[in-house]
Amino acid sequence: MSTTEERLAAEKRMKYERVGLDAVDDRLGSSGFIQKALDKIFPDHWSFMVGEIAMYCFVVLLITGVYLALYYVPSAADVVYHPTPGHGYMPLAGQHMSEAYQSVLNISFNVRAGLVMRQMHHWAAVVFMAAIAFHLCRIFFTGAFRRPRETNWVIGLLLLLSVMLEGFSGYSLPDDLLSGTGLRVVFSIVESIPFIGTWLAFDLWGSQFPGSSLIPRLFVVHEFLFPLAIIGLLTAHLMLIWRQKHTDFPGPGKTETNIRGSRLWPQYAIKSGALLMIIFGVLGALGGLFQINAIWLYGPYNPYTVSAGAQPDWYVGWLDGSVRLWPHWEFRSFGHEIANPFFPGVLVPGIVFTIMFAWPQIDRLIYKDHVAHNLLDRPRDKPFRTAVGVGALAFFTDLTFASGTDLLGNDLHMPFERLIEILQYGVFVAPLVAGAIAYKTCQALQRTDAHPIMKPVGGILIRTADGAYHTLGDEHGAHGDHDGHGHAVDDHDGNGHAAAHDDDGNGSADGNGHAAEEVDEPAAGAAISGPDPSGS
Amino acid sequence: MTRTLKLLRRVLRGPASRRRILAGPAAVMALGVAAFAFMAVTGTAAQGANAPVSTNASDIAAGEQLFAAHCQSCHGVNGVGGTNGSPELIDAGAAAADFYITTGRMPLNATNNQALRHHSYFNATQTRDLVAYIADLPAINSAHPLPRVGEEAFNPTSPGIPTVAPLCTGPGTPSGCVTLSDGQRYYSLNCAQCHQAAGAGGMLSKGDIVPSLHNASLTQVAEAMRVGPSPMPVFGTGQLSAKQVSAIAQYVQYLHNPNNRGGLGISHFGPIAEGFVGIVIGFGVLMLASRLIGNRG
Repeated sequence: MSTTEERLAAEKRMKYERVGLDAVDDRLGSSGFIQKALDKIFPDHWSFMVGEIAMYCFVVLLITGVYLALYYVPSAADVVYHPTPGHGYMPLAGQHMSEAYQSVLNISFNVRAGLVMRQMHHWAAVVFMAAIAFHLCRIFFTGAFRRPRETNWVIGLLLLLSVMLEGFSGYSLPDDLLSGTGLRVVFSIVESIPFIGTWLAFDLWGSQFPGSSLIPRLFVVHEFLFPLAIIGLLTAHLMLIWRQKHTDFPGPGKTETNIRGSRLWPQYAIKSGALLMIIFGVLGALGGLFQINAIWLYGPYNPYTVSAGAQPDWYVGWLDGSVRLWPHWEFRSFGHEIANPFFPGVLVPGIVFTIMFAWPQIDRLIYKDHVAHNLLDRPRDKPFRTAVGVGALAFFTDLTFASGTDLLGNDLHMPFERLIEILQYGVFVAPLVAGAIAYKTCQALQRTDAHPIMKPVGGILIRTADGAYHTLGDEHGAHGDHDGHGHAVDDHDGNGHAAAHDDDGNGSADGNGHAAEEVDEPAAGAAISGPDPSGS
Repeated sequence: MTRTLKLLRRVLRGPASRRRILAGPAAVMALGVAAFAFMAVTGTAAQGANAPVSTNASDIAAGEQLFAAHCQSCHGVNGVGGTNGSPELIDAGAAAADFYITTGRMPLNATNNQALRHHSYFNATQTRDLVAYIADLPAINSAHPLPRVGEEAFNPTSPGIPTVAPLCTGPGTPSGCVTLSDGQRYYSLNCAQCHQAAGAGGMLSKGDIVPSLHNASLTQVAEAMRVGPSPMPVFGTGQLSAKQVSAIAQYVQYLHNPNNRGGLGISHFGPIAEGFVGIVIGFGVLMLASRLIGNRG
């Protein structure tokens, strides 16, 4: 396979790398670190790149955000809009509006590439949250949060919270009708917190709603506070991944003490770079081809106007849905009324996030598993955890649907009241049903050991001379052993791996190479045959 | 077919061999750059005409025939009202007749249904005749009085078909013209609560829906404000002047094809629809991309 030219080309390339490294090393003495860094191994599984999608979306957000910040004016001062034909949005000519809204109109109509930057920024935020949600699901369903990675799970959730708040503050900055409506809802939710609510709301807004202090404050929050928090948390997140190294799916040649995959340089850097280019391309395409938040149609915000079908961005939808579904109960205690929005707006997300933050501890109690893990679980092997995760997804989906009731009711030709009622029951029924189906599916998959989506790997059918059939590739032995780890990963084509790299420095894995020895992990094995808390 | 399947399998299962992996991303990048340059069209507002009500006796006679065939079974002889709860039409007036007929809301299939937009059951001549007849109902009934069914009329001066003032387009436009800016302001004050900021429509309680305004003509919008087709309230002359009604009607007309800078408008349904597009198209493509390159060793 390796011809003379290829070998020469490889040597030439390595020479350049060496020259570059030498130049840096002469000055910084950093060769050791760089060499180690460039040799770092990244597992070859596509789902590990979704976290990177999130990271690169953040890069796009920073770049486009800087551009928007050049033109945005964080001021609630009242101005009269005077566009000239061809430069500006004529249907709003002569209207009173905040300076902030005017500046966003200018970004959309007057600033060169302003609108495409604004739309890329908004689409990037939408995709950012989708990638984070998917990444969170992967970590959850594969048990990647287990010891020793509980801290990174917490950091990840803090990132999720920061990005949600960052997204909401960005949604509120244009000061159009949707922004103002969203802020009005949040003002009421803050006010509903018992005892301190009113003071807190007036402190945050600086006055009664809407006031003129919030826009400049939100700008500081959106521009500095949360971006810095995200950068800090992201750095910690990545440093911990670096320190603790990646997890990986079990598979041939993979053990708790080694990592197989691609070196950072050159393979993984090229993969990652390709993904970065695709993300820029896709977000550019979305920003250029699909309109998002046409603020000029919503018009400037006035506290006495509102639009039907006002919704938050999708990732806040479940909170909006929670407020919409909560029954009209009222509570009085110690002479104080606990205002209704407190329960769906503060308590529900409070409980949800508490459970999420505590999940590594809960999981440890459920599975009585205190051992450190570097190999992942297959979701089917932990049916209860998988059922909890699927149930949670059903819960969020139900609430998100509730946020779109005005659209749904129209599309389904269903009375609003019945839709609300169905979704209210759905909050309890949907998670139970979805969880039960997931649980049963996991058990069935454990038995058949088939991949739920893909065709079984291997599978060359051979007919022998005496008429018997058997399949090649079965010797890999998934049907024989019930831990089934042999088929948990895609069938790598084998020559994709030059060698098994020892990423631990203890030299134990090099010899493992292609032996593809199945190592039964005590912990993983125990989880299958061990006590199952769900009572199966 | 097999090629498509193969490609699909490659996407789902990952590649069998090493290939140059930068060509695809570069193509996507190029597409993105091209899209970056793409900006969409602007809309223009059209101007509608006004149908004057005919007082021609033969038109009224033809209208009576049509009324007997299509309306009388519910609304009664000479529009005195029906026993099934259908309202009397004696004071309905030309605007209501024209609105309900041209928007296809009448005749209604079942009386407990909300009257919704439909293609009109009558052609232009038939509509003219029916409107002429219904506008003439007060005179007909005072000449041949029949007992009224249902409540007494509350609106002695039933609204005629309103005229909609033109948009101010420049120095040459006649006085009395209206601006889109005024229309936007009055629209968001009076209409957006139910009809949504971009006229996409919405929901009310008890299964009533708020129709989208994207098919409503200038005259129909003005008529609807004056008539108040249930469950919409009447916006009488005390609430909105003729000029304000015209401005709103012109703005609704503009919303049929608004300035859609920035690309496909996704029906202006708002953030939930946008989230769907972002997740399915944006994140979906990125998932496929990471699936394609992620498993390469």
